[in-house]
Amino acid sequence: MRDAYITGAGQFLPGDPVDNSRMIGHIGRLSPRAERLGRLVLRQNGIKTRHYAMRPDGTTDWTVAKMAAEAVGAALDDAGLDRKAATYLAAATTQNDFLVPGFASGVHAASGLGPIELASHQSVCASAMMAFKSAWLNVRAGEHDAALAVGGEFSSRYFRPDHYRGTATVEADDTLPGDAEFLRWTLSDGAAAIVIEPERPRKGLSLRIDWFSLRSFADRFAPCMTGGAVLGEDEITPWSHLPGKAAGEGAFQLRQDVDALYRMLPVWMGDFLRQVDEGRVVPDEVDWFLCHFSAKSLRDEMVRLATKAGAMIPEERWFTNLYDKGNVGAASIYLLIDDFLKSGRARPGQKILCAVPESGQCIMAFAGMTVMAGRDE
Amino acid sequence: MNEHSPMATDWEATTHRRLAQVWIDFESALVQVPVIARLLSGKLRQEDYLSLLRNLRQQVIEGSRWIALASSNLTPANEDLRSLFLSHAQDEHRDFRMLEKNYVAAGGALEDIQSAEKNVGSEALSGFMYHAASKSDPIGLLGAMFIIEGLGNRFAGPWAKLVREQLDLGEDAVSFFAYHGENDEHHMEEFDEAVKLAATDEASSASIVKHAKVVARLYRLQVEELDNV
Repeated sequence: MRDAYITGAGQFLPGDPVDNSRMIGHIGRLSPRAERLGRLVLRQNGIKTRHYAMRPDGTTDWTVAKMAAEAVGAALDDAGLDRKAATYLAAATTQNDFLVPGFASGVHAASGLGPIELASHQSVCASAMMAFKSAWLNVRAGEHDAALAVGGEFSSRYFRPDHYRGTATVEADDTLPGDAEFLRWTLSDGAAAIVIEPERPRKGLSLRIDWFSLRSFADRFAPCMTGGAVLGEDEITPWSHLPGKAAGEGAFQLRQDVDALYRMLPVWMGDFLRQVDEGRVVPDEVDWFLCHFSAKSLRDEMVRLATKAGAMIPEERWFTNLYDKGNVGAASIYLLIDDFLKSGRARPGQKILCAVPESGQCIMAFAGMTVMAGRDE
Repeated sequence: MNEHSPMATDWEATTHRRLAQVWIDFESALVQVPVIARLLSGKLRQEDYLSLLRNLRQQVIEGSRWIALASSNLTPANEDLRSLFLSHAQDEHRDFRMLEKNYVAAGGALEDIQSAEKNVGSEALSGFMYHAASKSDPIGLLGAMFIIEGLGNRFAGPWAKLVREQLDLGEDAVSFFAYHGENDEHHMEEFDEAVKLAATDEASSASIVKHAKVVARLYRLQVEELDNV
């Protein structure tokens, strides 16, 4: 197996940053009570600005595939790579533009690349890590010499009032249940990508990928974040089992069981402790911790648990961009990698740890990397 | 690069890390046991709650007895641990009376809970506890305490609230859970102190973790085997 390196990264965030006072214009007004809950959610998640591909009037020029294609172009430019050189594309998203065909096909069509091999990965935040691994292994195994991994989200389109009004989910005063409202104030739009190659560039920094771990805990959790599901008292029904009625039942709304989310924290943390026990992570030796988290309150709880277990990575080594770029689901880990590489803080020899917990049905993913100098440096 | 040099193994932190993983697996499995799953999903029946109390009483009675037995087997080398074990046994040796009062307040008959036998899971749990407590310097039992006190600290409070809500009962029917929810916090602090004293090398750390694993599995067996006597 060959070594493989992240030689370039790029991102696309639509429009200008939108602050908390203006965000309601983009997702749309439901009711004063809904907005009160929204302010509470914003206090918990700590996000100050984010980007939306949806205009306040409910129109857009974008699809998630188009945004991802922009990010792919930016990453190729960053790596200084000709478009013909990339022969593999792994694409990740939570909700594709269409149910059929696959997301990677849409990204490929919008990207201007020639015929390539591709793979569509569908989950929530961890889908980006699935795409990451598939691109990494394809390069390692010698199947491809330049592979792309991209993640994109266009969540705000699902948050418009017309997706809720007239469905069984909405109460008489236009208020949503907490599990539906929570996500409207949490998720936003954008895309980011990385380029993986078997050789370091002559000049400039790259990231050598050292190890990878992804574990599902769906053996012990029911779905916690759902879309395309009708949530009953006891069971979750796929939208397809209610022909003609699914939309009215609110099946196409994104929902998050916040209580279950907090129950997953110790399980995510346990998988982190396993990495420590098995020697892949030495907390004192991690120079930069690129952890995707969805809310400041979750981060605080993680810090508490890690400190007690003697596995805390000091907070000054946490690299985050959540508060100004928002939670962009499957794009988030690539946004972190891109912003880190361009932050001026990376030095050759530093150890980087990426962590992506996913609440969908509980996944925890990690990647360990080392900052490398150019071959001629 | 970091200025940190690799340190000698910190057995206290290592033990906490391993115990955290044991706890996480225990908690994930326990919430799937039918009676607990019903409690957490708002479907508990009165008979479920009565059965839970009936089946916990024997273990609670034995609990302070095996801690007392363990303390008598701690040599002067573990003097501080012995103090902890003794005070712990004294704290809890009348707790089963609370369970009996709760049982009656929840609509059960006193003679039913007083005459209840250990279920097959409780038998296994009790058998292991006495076996472990009979050894010389049984510091591994800290792992058993970690599970039992962890249950009180993390689950008892929320369980008390859920039971009251679902069965429309008063404080007097859930005082055993409520009391442990409020008071096991300081037991967990004492436990952290005890780990600092006891987990000094690989052998002591491994023993504590092993006992925690066994007790986690047997406690779950006890809840899986309600009324199977």
